[in-house]
Amino acid sequence: MRAKKSSSEPLERVMNQLSETVLGLSDEDILAEAGAAGRDPQLEAAQVGRVLERPLQGLENVNLCLSNLGHSVNPSQWYCGPLAYHNTCVRCGLSVSLTIASAEIRGSAVDRACRAKGLRIRETGTFS
Amino acid sequence: MGHLLPYIAIPVPGQISEGNESHRLTPTSIKVPSKSALLVENNESLLNLLRRNLLDMGYTVRTAPDVKEALRLYRDFAPTFNVILINYCIPECSALDERIDYSSPQTKGIELAKSIRGMDPSQGIILLALDFQSVGDVPPRPPELMNVPLVVDISRPQLRIVLEKIEVVRAVKALTPAEQLRLKRFAMFRVRGLGRAAGTRDWEDLLQEALYRTLIGAADIKNGRHWNKKVDLVKHLVETMKSIASSWKRQFTGHEANTYLVSELQTHDAEGEEYSPVDNLASGQPLTDEGLIEAEEENRMLATLRDNPVATAVLLGWMNGLRKNEILAKYGLDEKRYAAAVRRMRLKLLGSGGGDHES
Repeated sequence: MRAKKSSSEPLERVMNQLSETVLGLSDEDILAEAGAAGRDPQLEAAQVGRVLERPLQGLENVNLCLSNLGHSVNPSQWYCGPLAYHNTCVRCGLSVSLTIASAEIRGSAVDRACRAKGLRIRETGTFS
Repeated sequence: MGHLLPYIAIPVPGQISEGNESHRLTPTSIKVPSKSALLVENNESLLNLLRRNLLDMGYTVRTAPDVKEALRLYRDFAPTFNVILINYCIPECSALDERIDYSSPQTKGIELAKSIRGMDPSQGIILLALDFQSVGDVPPRPPELMNVPLVVDISRPQLRIVLEKIEVVRAVKALTPAEQLRLKRFAMFRVRGLGRAAGTRDWEDLLQEALYRTLIGAADIKNGRHWNKKVDLVKHLVETMKSIASSWKRQFTGHEANTYLVSELQTHDAEGEEYSPVDNLASGQPLTDEGLIEAEEENRMLATLRDNPVATAVLLGWMNGLRKNEILAKYGLDEKRYAAAVRRMRLKLLGSGGGDHES
């Protein structure tokens, strides 16, 4: 069944068209437009740099936070949930989640120190 | 001793065949490499295997069997190394025929990594923990190296994932101001086009999620966004933002193929603690005045451009789903006037509720 048309489609069409036109602008034009809009291109670009830095810093914060508690996650083992990324300590199995919107770190691995010292995980996944 | 975690395969050096590892740099095996790696590994068979993997991934590879040689090569060629792969158990100097005692933690690789990071904090490094029987035996990394990826599996997928992340970080840091502004403008217009489906999200959320998916999602086949290096990072992030924006809209309108029930979103983590991210989602329930809100937004756009008939014509054309050529024909416009009108629209409409806020 065809989905009912949303009343926001005209707005969406306009904004999508505008977003596509941005991609066709030369570097000089996009910097000039920022100036024409009364913004400082360099300052605005630096702001974007800070925004892009947050995911990089967010992942680093997770690692630091976990290492302080003795945990260690495998950077290759993050998996994506609906609104957060999840991982587990490779030593004790406690979980950690990183929310995408706020870069908030949650999970039991954040609340508790790694309890893996002296423990071994069997191939069945149980502790001994 | 078996593997502590079943999903991680750790090869034992002696088990690797040495019969076919004589990969040589012949003219036919080099595919115009543009990336460079320094491989610090003293186990010859592992070194050859890793070198072959890196060559296949388009890297030129220099190798060092110990810390001393690695530091020499680093000082001689440092700016050219995209990544340095360091074995945890690398000896200080192979000439001393140093024996490795696996019963005590080996940290020479750690010390080398710390030295290199001390000289260049942005240097991409990967620690190789291939000599350990299990991931639980790997000595903890010091806090300053916790962002250094740890590879415990020699298989190409894991190495590729880790290398990809390093390349993403480098590419993000190398974005020019114009590229950064292009990403911002694109994200702003896309989010604004979502209307109520955006909820409380703004351009920063869209851009950040695109980067998260690229950084973290490389290992996640379903939700991750693999960055194909044949396209530049800006283009990749743009395509990722399009995909995310569409996903947000589908979630809002309830047409998402993988629609989540509220009860599914209020999940529990591995230890049974409730995790409830549903508050961040926009509501898909129609407002009684939904039509009025949308009509008001359209009227506001028209009012913003009312002093420019050409821009108004282009706006109306777009609102009615006309393509560029159809608009040019319908309103008798040429390319120059069309481009000027579009520029005016970008400036005017970005400033009227574009969701920007200086942070």
